[in-house]
Order: sequence, then C-alpha cells, then structure tokens
Amino acid sequence: MDEQYGSKLTHRLKWAYTLLLVATLMLPSCYVIYISFNEHGFGAAKYDFTFDWYKVIFTDKLLLNALGWTLRLAVLTTLIVVPFGLIAAKFYKTTRHKVLTVAVFLSPLFVPGDILGSALLVFFKNLSQMFEAFSDWLGNEWFYGWFDLGFFSALVGLIIYALPYVFIVILITMARYRDQQTEAARACGANAWQAFWHVEFPQIRAGIFSACAFTVILTFNEYIRTSLLKGGFDTFTSVLVSQMLNEGMSESSYAMSSLVTYIAVAVIGSIIVITLIRTESLEREARAKAQPAMAS
Amino acid sequence: MPAPPSFFERVFGETWLGRAAMRLPLAFMVAFFLIPLALTYVWSVFERTQFWMKPGFTLFSYVNFFTSARLENFLWSMGHSAVSVVIAFILGFPIAVFVRRRVPQVAQHRVILLFLLPFMVSEIIRVFALRPVLQRNGLVNTVLMDLGITSQPITSILYTPTGVIIGEVMSFLPFMVFAGFLAMEALPKYVFEICEDLGAGRIRTFVDVILPLAAPGIFAGSVFIFVNGLGIALLPNILGGPGAVNAGLIATQAITALDFPLAMAVSAIMMTTLLGLLYIGHRLFDLTKILSPIT
Amino acid sequence: MTLQPNVSAPGSDPMTSARDVAVEVIGLSKNYGAVRALASVDLKIAAGEYFVLLGPSGGGKTTLLRLLGGFIRPSAGTVLLHGHDVSALPPNRRPTSMVFQSYALFPHMSVARNVGYGLKLQNMPKAEAKDRIAAMLELVGLTGYDARMPHELSGGQQQRVQLARSLVLERDVLLLDEPLAALDAKLRKDMCLELKHIQEKVGITFVHVTHNQEEAMTVADRLAIIAEGELIEAGTARDVYERPIKRFTADFVGERAIFDGTVASAEKTGVQLDLGFGTIAVKAPAEASAGAKASVSIRSELLELLPAEGKAPAGFETLEATYRESVYLGLTISHVVSLPDGSEIAVRDIAGAGPAKLPEAGAPVRIGWKAEDASLHLS
Repeated sequence: MDEQYGSKLTHRLKWAYTLLLVATLMLPSCYVIYISFNEHGFGAAKYDFTFDWYKVIFTDKLLLNALGWTLRLAVLTTLIVVPFGLIAAKFYKTTRHKVLTVAVFLSPLFVPGDILGSALLVFFKNLSQMFEAFSDWLGNEWFYGWFDLGFFSALVGLIIYALPYVFIVILITMARYRDQQTEAARACGANAWQAFWHVEFPQIRAGIFSACAFTVILTFNEYIRTSLLKGGFDTFTSVLVSQMLNEGMSESSYAMSSLVTYIAVAVIGSIIVITLIRTESLEREARAKAQPAMAS
Repeated sequence: MPAPPSFFERVFGETWLGRAAMRLPLAFMVAFFLIPLALTYVWSVFERTQFWMKPGFTLFSYVNFFTSARLENFLWSMGHSAVSVVIAFILGFPIAVFVRRRVPQVAQHRVILLFLLPFMVSEIIRVFALRPVLQRNGLVNTVLMDLGITSQPITSILYTPTGVIIGEVMSFLPFMVFAGFLAMEALPKYVFEICEDLGAGRIRTFVDVILPLAAPGIFAGSVFIFVNGLGIALLPNILGGPGAVNAGLIATQAITALDFPLAMAVSAIMMTTLLGLLYIGHRLFDLTKILSPIT
Repeated sequence: MTLQPNVSAPGSDPMTSARDVAVEVIGLSKNYGAVRALASVDLKIAAGEYFVLLGPSGGGKTTLLRLLGGFIRPSAGTVLLHGHDVSALPPNRRPTSMVFQSYALFPHMSVARNVGYGLKLQNMPKAEAKDRIAAMLELVGLTGYDARMPHELSGGQQQRVQLARSLVLERDVLLLDEPLAALDAKLRKDMCLELKHIQEKVGITFVHVTHNQEEAMTVADRLAIIAEGELIEAGTARDVYERPIKRFTADFVGERAIFDGTVASAEKTGVQLDLGFGTIAVKAPAEASAGAKASVSIRSELLELLPAEGKAPAGFETLEATYRESVYLGLTISHVVSLPDGSEIAVRDIAGAGPAKLPEAGAPVRIGWKAEDASLHLS
C-alpha cells in the first residue's frame, strides 16, 4: 500500500528509533544482568565473570523459602484467574451491559497497587474483626482467622491485579473466533460444555496459554499488593525489596533481579519465536490454498 | 425424542447455577475491588486509635493531610506525573502510528510484543535498576566521562524530581505504546489513504485526523500513566530526593505508622482524582470507543 | 396437490394438503428491547416439503429460522416440531440440524471428522460411523475428500461438507441459513439444483432462508415472504409470482408495474380504481368498498407498448404515457415510460418480440394489458 510510495530511508529511521527505544527501556535490566556476573559487584574497577552470586541465591534458605511461596501464589493465581477471565469474556459476549462490564473488569488497571493494597488490607482486617465478633457472639471460635492477612488475602490481591490483563488477552483471542462454530456444534448435538471443549477451546488454546504465561510472570513480578497483603510469609520480591531498601543493592540482589528478568525474557522470547514459526506455517498453508482448487 | 439433560447441561446450561457461575468473576470484582475501594471513603472519616481505628465521623485525616507539608510535595508529584505523561506521549505515540501505518499486519503484533518485553521485567526491578545507571558513578556518568563529553558527573538525574520523571517514563512508556496502538486500531486504515488523496500534509493529517480519532485511547493511556505515577510508592522512594513523596508513598507510610484513616484518606483522594479524570475524559471523548477493535 | 385460491388472513398461511405437519409456528414473536424483530407469526410446513423463507435483509427471516433451530428464545409463541413443543429446548435437543452461511466448518478437524462430529457425540461405533460418513460424502459429491482440511476446500465444497455433516444425523428438519450467499452467481445456480435433488433424494423437510428470488423459486415447493418482522404471504412459487395477494409481494417478487389509487366503485364483476390521472378496471372479485385505498399490479412482461392513437385490442386496459428509453438486457428489452403523475414504468419484451420501430423519446404512447392479467391488492 503506502509502503511503496514512502521513503525507504525514513522507514528505516523509524524502525531504528523504535528498536532504540526498546533497547533503552531494556538497558537498566541488562546492565543489572551484566553486573550480576561480576565477581566484584557494582562500581568495581575490575570485571571477573562468575556465577558465584547465583550460587549464593540457591543456597540461601530464606530466599528459597520465599521463592517457594511465590511459586505457590503464581500457580494458584493462574488456576483461578484464567478461568475467571474466560468466564468474564463469555459473560461479556452475552450480556447487554457491555460498557459497564468492561469498565468493571478493566478498572483495576487504573488503580495503583499501593492504593488497592492499602484498601484491601483495611478491608480484610475489618472482615476479620467482624467474623471474630460474630464468632464470639456465637460463643465459639469457628470464624476466627478466616480473613487474616495471609495467603488468601495475597491471592485475592493478585487475582484483582491480573484479571484485567487476562480479560484483554482472552477477549482479543476470542475476537477471532466465530460464534457460528459453537452454534454448528450445538446443531450437531453438542451441549454447551461439549461445544466449548471440542470446538472453541482448540481454537483459543494459544491465547489461553499466553494468558497463563502472562499471569505467572505478573505474579512473580508483583510486589506492592503482595507485600501489603501477605501477612507473615516472605515472597521473592518482598525479600528482594527489603534487602535493597535496607542494605542497598548487594551483589546477590543483582543476581536475584537478573533471575526475575531471565524468566520474563524467556517467556516472551519463546512466545515471539513460536508466533514467528506459526506465521511461517500459516503462510505456507495460505500459499497452498491460493493455488487453484479443483472445480467444485 | 429429546434425551434428558446431562449433568453438565444442568449445571452450566440455562440453570440458575450456570447463570451464577457466569456471574462469579463479576461478583468477585464487586466484593473484593469495588466495595473495598468504595469503603475507603467511609474509613477515611474514622477516628484513629493507637493500633487501628474506630468508627466515627471526623475530617481530621483530611485536615491533617491538607495542612501538612506533604500537600505541597503531593501537588509537585502531580506535576511531575503530568510531565511524564507528556514525555511518554511524545516518545511513544509516534511509534504506535508508525507501526499501524507502515508495518505489515502480521508483523504488527510482533512489534507490540517487543514492547511487552520491558513490561515483563518486574516493575520494582525497572525502578531499582535505574540507580546503578543514573548514579554518580553509574553507567551514564561513566560512559559520558569516558567519552569525554563531560568532566564532572551529572548528579541531577537521580534523587531529584528528574530522576522520578525518568523512572516514570521508563516504567510506563510501553503502556503509552499499547494504548496508542489500541487507539490506532480503532482507525480504519483507509483514513490515511484518504488524507494522502486529499493532499493533506503530515502535520495536518496528524492534528486534524489522527489525534481526534485516537483521542480516547491516548486519554486512557495518559490517565493510566498519570495515576500510576502518583500511586507507586517506589518511584519517589528510590529515585526521588529526600522528602519526595507521592500519594502511594504517603498511603503506605501511613499504614506502616498504623495511621489507617490517613491512608484511607489519601486513597480516597486518589480515587476521586481518578474518577474525575475518567469522567472528564468520557464527556470529552466517549471512552467506550477504545474497545471497538476488541469487541 | 390441488391449487386453491390464495385467500388468507394476514400473517397466516393456508395448508394446501393434509400431509404431516413437520413444523408449526403459532403466534411466534421476538423482541430485542424496543426493536421488534418478529411480530406474531403463524406458519405450517408439511413434512418432506422444501420450504423457503424469502425476504429482504433484516426482515426477520433469519430470526424465524434461528427460532426454529433453538438458537434464539422466543419472546412469545410456540414452536412445534412434528407435534412436540420445542420452544424451550436448546439446539442440541431439537430434531433439527443447520447449514450456515459460512465459517461453520470446524477448522481444526478434517472433512471426515467434521461430518462425523455429531455421530461421535452419539457414541456411534467407529465402523458404522465410517460407513455413514462415506455414504454422505458420496451423496454430496465429495467422495475421497475425507482427509482434507476445511481451508483446503473451495466455498462450494465447504457448503457441501456442511450439508453432509447435517444430513448424516438423519434429523427431521434441515435448516439452511442463506447457504449459497457466499458463493458466486454461476456456482449458486448449480448448487441450487443440487440442493433440490438432494432434498428429493433424502426426503426430509428443508427450511431455507434467502433473499435471492431466483434461488427461492428454483428450490421451493412453497415459500413465504417475510419482511419487517411479519409473514406477508405464503404459497407456491407460481402462486406468489402469478397471483400475489399483498402489494408488498407484488412489489418484491418479479418485476411488476404497480399503480396506487382509490376505489371509485366496486361491483360483482370488478372494481374501478381511480389513479388520479386515469381510471382502470380490474377484473377480480374482491370485497372492496368505494373510497378504500388499493393498488393494482401487472407483471411487466405482460404489459405492451401501444401506439398513442388507434383502438386498443379487445379486453385491454390502457393508460397514457410518455416514452423515455429502452434498455437491452440480453434476454429481455425494458421499455421505460413515464406516466402522467411522473412515475416510471418498465414494459418488458422478450428480445425479438415487441414493436419493430421504437418511438422517439418524449413521444406519447400507451401501455396496455389484458384486464384479467392485473391483480388487485387491498393491503
């Protein structure tokens, strides 16, 4: 289209600018990775490559414990938030109040983590007290500790955080799906679940897996809501942050930060690679299809 | 003729249980998001006790906030956030236009994925990682001095408002690109061809056509950056100088100090600002248009 | 089947034989908020019939079809299939199957798996299913295409696979939602006839929705005109083309000249219609009262271009007009004339017939027709 008439040079310049911007955004994290491999840490005159700091992480019991908690949170959040996102997307498609639905599901994006975390913290404490008072009134301890700050409250905070992203990703995936397919499946005798599982799910599978990967990364990276709501246990990010706030950036915190970055880069990188491969195979199919088909 | 309904049909079909399941995420959002945020207004007028708060009605927290030194810093932080929005727009929106116009359809999403990359790095890392870069003896200064461009290290880019702005822009630029991209997707591609046909120059095309049509998306992205700039405590905490605050930092500090009504008051003020901005935006632009590419 | 005069009340349809009723719709309506997609519709479709719902886009025919299939819930009324009330049942519980306009083949399944999907849901043994699938593919002319994927098929082939997928289930009623709309004209003509032959072979009831008249008339045993949410008229193709009852039908089916006017006088033998610029007689028994609004329509191929002077042939009604132009369309030639009130009418001749010498533009002429060829419409 207009690519043919535009100037090649400006096109290349614009591409260069885009890539430069991405590189600049990635620069600090890359620099951190660079430092993490230096035996002498930050600001030292010499640079000796080493894996030592990573070894330190994996032997630190506190850190490993925190990592475990983070993983549990990540898995459970994903298990809850992706089905939620799916149901929310289906609900959005069938409801008449589309604008309101979208507003509700996307609004957590506009509320900063500190604010939401604080509000939820007070909310849970209040709930806890209410339930305890109710228990006392009943004369027993059945309702104690339900809403204390802990795993459940952190989970809730993370679900609220991740849901808008999952919602958008699934909506975009479903936008390409044709509802006639579900109707055709129903017309063939499938009930609602069978139609979804046999016909719709295989076509939105990729989007759902992206949503899962996305959620895992988001939970791993999240700090503020988790730290406010987690109560007693430590998460990876909270250990990292408290270290950095108290001791400044130690060598092991460089290594830890790098670790988190690797995961993110690995996941996104593989998604990019996979979509590259898929578009190649789709293009091959399209080329085959473009060849004259036999007369009907 | 018709067979009796299966178990799944009874649960997920047109039964009340199925309808309830469909509304579960919505209920969750209402219970754990809308209600707590709405209650911040209520809690903000409670009285503070030593470890908690007791129900009542007092405007003490608000008065405390508005008459303290914090208010001035808070207003400054709003200014800084606004500056970040403008810078992010100037840097990031042209990319969205460029990708939408000049990059073939298949590759467009890949480019957007590229911007997903920095977003995937934890927000805290992105902020903390700026310290070794912007410090006195950090990367920027070392490189500048090695290249002979400066003889003294630049100290004004960290522990200053500039540092906070740099941090905000670096953290949220990808969002401006995403929001811009979504906004541009709402533009049918033939619009550009029509403009060229009519002989409109680049600037005129931009101002008269692109901006108004993409306005809802740009506005949403701007509100997002602005609000998050105000709300994320780490930004002034790590990158700002002494006494630098934003709403988020005040709130979390208040919680640490066990002054819950104050934290809630700050939250309520933030919420009001956000709602006000969104309302203005909706009146001006009809924000519902943002989602036309998805729906 | 005997032909009976199409005398029917609005919104209902006369059964022309006493066969099994496959589909019956009573008082069926559908509203979307304030929008009335379908007003109260009553309809009966006989078993084994090829029935077409014909109408303009957005007129409600697809809504009616989807109500039959169970994809929409009625706002009021009942749907009966072979006597059973299915109004509340979802699609998989009804004895219907459906062919969609496009994009309805499962892209991740091969042709054989697509066709066999419904059988798999019934837990049919693999061997038996395989036989049935093969038989169906042969019926639609796609033997050997088992392993192809949908994106490898042409549009026509995809529709055939859909047909096979629906027919293999041996349901009572097959619903078709504009199945040929996505195909080009030549292909559409061929597939039309094929659909008709397949229906005759298989023998089940087909309900086919289209906005294309030629398609409708090719396949239909009977058809119904659906527009603006209402059932306007129903009958065989011949009934609807040659003897439409409603003005809308006359306007929609075929090409007719329509004159609107008021009834000047009504007698047993006919009605005099006052058009404002002339009066014409219509030979049709009708309960028309003087002063009522009515319309007369004549098929444009039954109109003749007559010289302005001279005696008209016996039994002909005539109107004065001004000749405008002629348009050559291959099979026919359309002579466009304008009437004294400014409206334009086309007179169609089979190419080769008609006046040898054409008048000049602006010359006065007369259009004429056999009085019994005109139809009177009171609504």
